[in-house]
Amino acid sequence: MPRKIQTRDSLTVYFLILILITVFALWFKSLEIESNRQQAGITILSLGIVLLAAYVFSRILKITKLPLITGYIFAGIIAGPYITGFLSVDDVERFRLVDDLALSFIAFTAGGALHLQSLKKKSRIILFNVALLTIVVFAIVYLFIISTGRYFDFINTLSSTNITVFAILLGVVSVARSPSSAIAIISECRASGPFTETILGVTVVMDILVIIFFTFAMTIGKIVINGSEAVYYTALTGLSLEILASILIGIVLGKGISIYIDKAGHDLPLFLLFLAFGVTRTSLWISDFTETHFNIFLHLEPLLICMSTGFTVQNFGSGGKIFMESLDRMALPIYVLFFSLAGASLNIESLIICWPLALSLVFVRAGSIFLATWTAGTISRDPSIHKNNAWMAYLTQAGVAIGLAQLAQRQFPEIGSYLTTVVLAVISINQVVGPITFKAALNIVKETGRD
Amino acid sequence: MKIFFSFLLIIFLAFSGYHLSFRNFRLPLFARKFYLTGTEFLFLGLLLGPQFLNILDDNTFRGLEPLSALLLGWIGLLFGFQFEISKLRRFPFEFFIAAILEGAMTFLFVFFGVILFYKSGLLNTNLSGPTILIVALTLSAAAACTAQTGVVLLASEKVAKHRQTVKILRYISSIDGLFAIVIFGVTIMLRPEIYSGSPLVNWLGWTTFISLSACAGLLMLYILFFTQRREESELTLVVIGMVMFTSGASSVLNMSPLFTNFFIGFCLVNLTREKEKIFNILVTIEKPVYLLLLVFLGRSWQLSSAWIIFLAAIYCIHRAAGKITGGFIITRLGPALKLQPSNLGFGLLEQGGLALAILFDYHQNFPGDITAQVVSLALLAIIYNEFLSPNFLNRLLKDD
Repeated sequence: MPRKIQTRDSLTVYFLILILITVFALWFKSLEIESNRQQAGITILSLGIVLLAAYVFSRILKITKLPLITGYIFAGIIAGPYITGFLSVDDVERFRLVDDLALSFIAFTAGGALHLQSLKKKSRIILFNVALLTIVVFAIVYLFIISTGRYFDFINTLSSTNITVFAILLGVVSVARSPSSAIAIISECRASGPFTETILGVTVVMDILVIIFFTFAMTIGKIVINGSEAVYYTALTGLSLEILASILIGIVLGKGISIYIDKAGHDLPLFLLFLAFGVTRTSLWISDFTETHFNIFLHLEPLLICMSTGFTVQNFGSGGKIFMESLDRMALPIYVLFFSLAGASLNIESLIICWPLALSLVFVRAGSIFLATWTAGTISRDPSIHKNNAWMAYLTQAGVAIGLAQLAQRQFPEIGSYLTTVVLAVISINQVVGPITFKAALNIVKETGRD
Repeated sequence: MKIFFSFLLIIFLAFSGYHLSFRNFRLPLFARKFYLTGTEFLFLGLLLGPQFLNILDDNTFRGLEPLSALLLGWIGLLFGFQFEISKLRRFPFEFFIAAILEGAMTFLFVFFGVILFYKSGLLNTNLSGPTILIVALTLSAAAACTAQTGVVLLASEKVAKHRQTVKILRYISSIDGLFAIVIFGVTIMLRPEIYSGSPLVNWLGWTTFISLSACAGLLMLYILFFTQRREESELTLVVIGMVMFTSGASSVLNMSPLFTNFFIGFCLVNLTREKEKIFNILVTIEKPVYLLLLVFLGRSWQLSSAWIIFLAAIYCIHRAAGKITGGFIITRLGPALKLQPSNLGFGLLEQGGLALAILFDYHQNFPGDITAQVVSLALLAIIYNEFLSPNFLNRLLKDD
């Protein structure tokens, strides 16, 4: 059958499916829920609908050459609280478990995708990129807010001190990117090569560093606002210990997985799913437990644990290939659920409230990323096709940035809500645009379809 | 947090237990049998439940309800996939009739037994008529189903020696739950608790119409999904989404996820080209799903009164009588069946997967004290059968 007719047939089928799913969704939403069993039914039904609808939506968008995760995100936005309201804010919150699980699973993949040997080879370029992305993006965003803050209605009521702290925190949050989106795009495009490896290395390293920078930023913010010089040495020591502990736990788990692969090996995807779930929930429980019982806030970072686990299995054991294949087998349902729920949780309301500032920030951030990656590429003598297009791979932003903004909201109640609103609005744009530009970059450097 | 930890523990135990039970465990036959059916997971559920550790307390269990619907859906879909008409046709039609008849006979034996028992007033329970009817239907539906474990465990030389008998035992035990699941599905759909108060005929008609429309719509949706060939990962996604969708829709519409998914599975296996691939996906996590079900059921087990032990024995004997009578009758049906020993029912006493799923579905739909007692009774009977059935099977093969 000619390709055009086949595509048309597929589109017809997909549209029919979407219509049917919509009819079902409308029907079930109109029903009165009386019992716990029905409530549980609605929960699982919503997940099923989101899973199937996001998958179909992504297939339709695939025809337009857009990345699949854009389809998942769009489906989530449409199903979410701000467009059709099929998923309420409470629903999205209820699915946080799925979200955490998926994120841990993706972190396994991120760690497993890093090959020590190629990292060693690329250490120079990765180092330059990390350093410049951090300094340049932070500096430009900070200066932009300081110099233009008073012109934006949304924040012009803040005092100059608060604007300074706002600029510092926003500068650091702008440095954060989304490893999950990067992994999903790389996996979808089956991309590999020097460009992909650099992007992945930089993204993963920055994911760790941004947490440290953010702690510094909060310390400085406290000094600016309170005028005190109580530098959070304890907090910094605590943070270092947390990071170290997370990495160590990851190494132990990685070794455990390697042994499991060697000795047993069967049903690895199920085993990994269990482990991902265990890591996420146990980390949270340890935080809660130590805070409640010992008044110590020990925050183990599940993402870091899983990345470290994946990295250990890939580089210090014989089961790296099997490990990655197993992750790949479970990847699709996990990506679809994760990104569609991420879409549903995008805060469109925030975007409406502060769109001029958010849009300006998106452009400023993109520009500063371009400057940083171009400079890093020039210093390390990267091919011009790489250095000219690398910025497109770093636009995506998601969970980490939101988490940091929420953390800041607790520490700085005066500016917290402004910061969260702007960050959510910026992420809403970057999470939609980022995957598209990343896929385009991979296509331009011709590193797709190689794996 | 408790929900997450319970979930974690259960998944871990189910997963590891699956490997212990179904993979690398080598024990004497008696113990192997015990482990192979995963019966120990009933005890694990009991341990985790409110009667002992209380890790799986009521709140936690309610939080895990979506998972329960998913488990039931998965088992239902898998059972539906056993009814591929082209494969069933490879066997004489009289085998099919025999399997249904044997299931129906056992069902009726137990059904009237339970009704008579309650009506006799031996037990002062003050149950209403509809409740007694539902209890009787559930117990008889669970009784009608046969598990294949005993036959699967037979040594290969025995299988070779009794090829024909083993063949028919496998056939019957794989499909004799049909009658039970249909009756049970209809019971859940038309249960009195959801009766709206409108004229009975109108309500029955409307409920049937809604249920059939929902099933037809779901079926249409899934068939559309399977009109195109998909990669395995995409198919996995569609199957997971499909079970979630169907199970959720069933719960919302007060239908049985087990029955609805069975119906969808039956239709899909006969209508789609991707049936083999879908079946493989379903089978991949069949065992962990089954063991999770055992844990959940074990949690609901109540061993508060000793009389349940005797009642379970009576239920077990009644079921055995139904199976043996059913087996006797079907060996009089046609030429191929007449070649079988008249005590064929001895090989059909094992009670497993589908019966457990029916009990769990009942437990989810009718929460209450009587439900816990009924489930406890049936679970005990299942354990009795675990001990009895190998001896009866051996006797059958000796006589063959």
